[in-house]
Amino acid sequence: MLILGALALVLVAGGPYVLPTYMVNSLIRAFLYAAAALTVDILWGYTGILTFGQSAFFGIGAYAAGLIFTHIGFSLGYAALALVVGVAGAMIVAAIVGWLSFYQGASPLYASVVSLVLPIVVAQLLYSGGTFTGSSSGLSGFESFDIAIETWFWIAGAFLIILTAGAWIFVRSDAGRVLVAIRENEARCEYLGINVSRVKILLLVVCAAIGAAAGYAFACVQMVVAPEYAGFVFGTELVIWVALGGRGTLIGPVLGTLVIDVSTSYLSGNLPFVWKLIIGLTFVVVIVAIPQGLLPLIKGAVDRLRGRSKIDTAEPAPILQSVAADPFAGLAQAGAHALQIKDVRKHFGSLQVLEGINFTAVRGELLSLVGPNGAGKTTLMRCIADGNERTGGVILVNEHDIQRLPPYDCVAFGVGRKFQTATVFETLTVAESLRIARTRRALPSFRARAATLDVPEAALKVIQATGLDQMLQVEARHLSHGQKQALELAMVLTLEPNVLLLDEPTAGLTKAERMLIGQVLVELAGNHALCILLVEHDLDFVREISSRVIVLHQGRLVLDGTVHEVVESELVRTIYSGAAHAPAGSQA
Amino acid sequence: MSAAVALDLARVRSGYGEALIVREVDLDIRPGEIFVLLGKNGMGKSTLLKTVMGFLPIQAGNVRLFGEDITGHPPHRLARKAISYTPQEQPLFQDLSVEDNLRLGLRDDKYLEEGVKRIGMVFSFIPQRLKQRAGTLSGGEQKMLLVARALMSRPKLMLIDEISEGLQPSVIERLAGVLRSERDSTQVSILLIEQNVKFALSVADRYAVLKLGEIVDRGSVGDQGAEKSITDHLAV
Repeated sequence: MLILGALALVLVAGGPYVLPTYMVNSLIRAFLYAAAALTVDILWGYTGILTFGQSAFFGIGAYAAGLIFTHIGFSLGYAALALVVGVAGAMIVAAIVGWLSFYQGASPLYASVVSLVLPIVVAQLLYSGGTFTGSSSGLSGFESFDIAIETWFWIAGAFLIILTAGAWIFVRSDAGRVLVAIRENEARCEYLGINVSRVKILLLVVCAAIGAAAGYAFACVQMVVAPEYAGFVFGTELVIWVALGGRGTLIGPVLGTLVIDVSTSYLSGNLPFVWKLIIGLTFVVVIVAIPQGLLPLIKGAVDRLRGRSKIDTAEPAPILQSVAADPFAGLAQAGAHALQIKDVRKHFGSLQVLEGINFTAVRGELLSLVGPNGAGKTTLMRCIADGNERTGGVILVNEHDIQRLPPYDCVAFGVGRKFQTATVFETLTVAESLRIARTRRALPSFRARAATLDVPEAALKVIQATGLDQMLQVEARHLSHGQKQALELAMVLTLEPNVLLLDEPTAGLTKAERMLIGQVLVELAGNHALCILLVEHDLDFVREISSRVIVLHQGRLVLDGTVHEVVESELVRTIYSGAAHAPAGSQA
Repeated sequence: MSAAVALDLARVRSGYGEALIVREVDLDIRPGEIFVLLGKNGMGKSTLLKTVMGFLPIQAGNVRLFGEDITGHPPHRLARKAISYTPQEQPLFQDLSVEDNLRLGLRDDKYLEEGVKRIGMVFSFIPQRLKQRAGTLSGGEQKMLLVARALMSRPKLMLIDEISEGLQPSVIERLAGVLRSERDSTQVSILLIEQNVKFALSVADRYAVLKLGEIVDRGSVGDQGAEKSITDHLAV
């Protein structure tokens, strides 16, 4: 990577001396377009937000310069003012658009549609601005910096190199991995206490600022601005360049933009219509044949030629460090009642899933929730971890009313939830996933990857018991089903919750692994005063570790008692366990 | 190879990319037999099934189905050969109704009514909730629907990956009965992957234990000491 950076510096430094002026001019423009494409890659390639709207921010930056230089005049002071106005304006627009696009529960498609509307609206405003914005012909002939074209080449080139290097460092840092985690599984992020909406809005604001700065520089060099630079056609072109170059690679989109834009400026004169057709066809071919883009394809071929395998290039795994857990850190109050469930109800349309559920759990209790399939156990867990889930009733976690708060706020009260089906980040490694789970406790670095990884003792035990400590650099998608379950459990424990909701945490694990995890849970409840709510079908396991059992049947709480009372009860045998679970003692 | 074997694996190797997960596995499942493959996590059980079904490329070895070499056949061709495969993760069409999910297990709609009736004797909730969206069923109900769908097609060979996970004990018990009676009435061969040793031993005729991609133990369920041998292999 260093070699590539140095090469880029040499090319930018020497470019004006060897390249023809027309080429230099084309490249300056391409450098600035590439900066905008880079923001599309960060949003789409890394975070999974498909956006057609980055052109709008480019246009806002460009028009800030065009309008101020045309209507007020040009001086160094005004130039600085235009930059500030352009960047700040774009950031404000991005904050508003981000708030609209990424509110709690908005679908990714919705965000993409908003991103499509934005450049259309901005371009329409520019068209209807009369002589103020120059309407369809835009603004031209305004005064700008008196700088030689070679100098602009260096400025734009340096801007792009610094930006690419900065983005490269960021996306590979621990904080950058959070973006990938959001792309892979937003729900899991929210349940790990990450405010996904806020992260996305902040990211969009930063990307808007970069786009606006590129647009501003573009207006200063070209001394012309037009609505097309803010329009959705340009916004879509950015997406195409990113896709062709290879999204999620940073370098791919930059090279893609440079190659396509420069070749366009040469060839579109000779082949005005055919060229568009060629680009369009290439796009279709790449999407169909090599959906990951050209750069990964080239890189793979180079690696094969050099005989390197992926395993050789992997970075060393971070060293796991056991830390003392502090599950009650940051809580304003933590009374004896860990969990209070008052008259909780839930319907899906006319289907009544939970009816008037009432119970209280204290710290240190390991409460098992049993009942037939479809009794509402998972739904109850969902209601405790997300304030928006229940239809009615009140839930208090550590004596905090969860009201209608989203999952990450419930996490702040101490809730940790493991889903029924293993929910992990497919393309992140085991170590990276655990670090994402740590985000709430320790803000990750924006520049580097830490060499060590702090995990609480309980998580470490689960990791070691299931052999995940030997697989820290393995991507989660390569794990077996049971290992994914164990990884998710370890992630939730890394969060250091004090009310732990576990939906079949040991499904897919062997009996021996189950028993080890059972010990960890008993210890957490006993020594760390955690309240654990456990859904399990293995009655032997339940009997072994629980301090109390609640039975749900058809959405109602039908039994609440000690392990003995419940497991031996006639009711449970009838509705749930069948003949295999005869009273204790006769158990194999 | 004679057709006296329903599924025959000879020296099968497979894995993901450079990582070899399944090494030299030999396995034969006879017609009308219930065979269970046990093993700890990450030992290659699911990988083996995916390889048989053509979802993963086979790196070496042969797979024969009733005597016919099917090595390297793609999944859609195998599906036409009366094999049903029940994978472990996300195998239902969440947005389709229970009925439509069942229908997809059939080649012809005319068998639907009879099939639903048959399934209903085992999983009573299914006939009552045919119009419900499959995604709104609980986790355990979805598992039952999967088995139901596999049974609908009246397959000659069923490959089932950890079906007992997440099911209540009485349903697991019933399931064991269903698989055995289905085998008795249709002579279907069943290859089960399981972690639940108790269930596995209650339903299967023969077993094998997979460890780091190789079979380290095999025998008949009725063998003396079979349970202890399996449990020892599954210990941490």
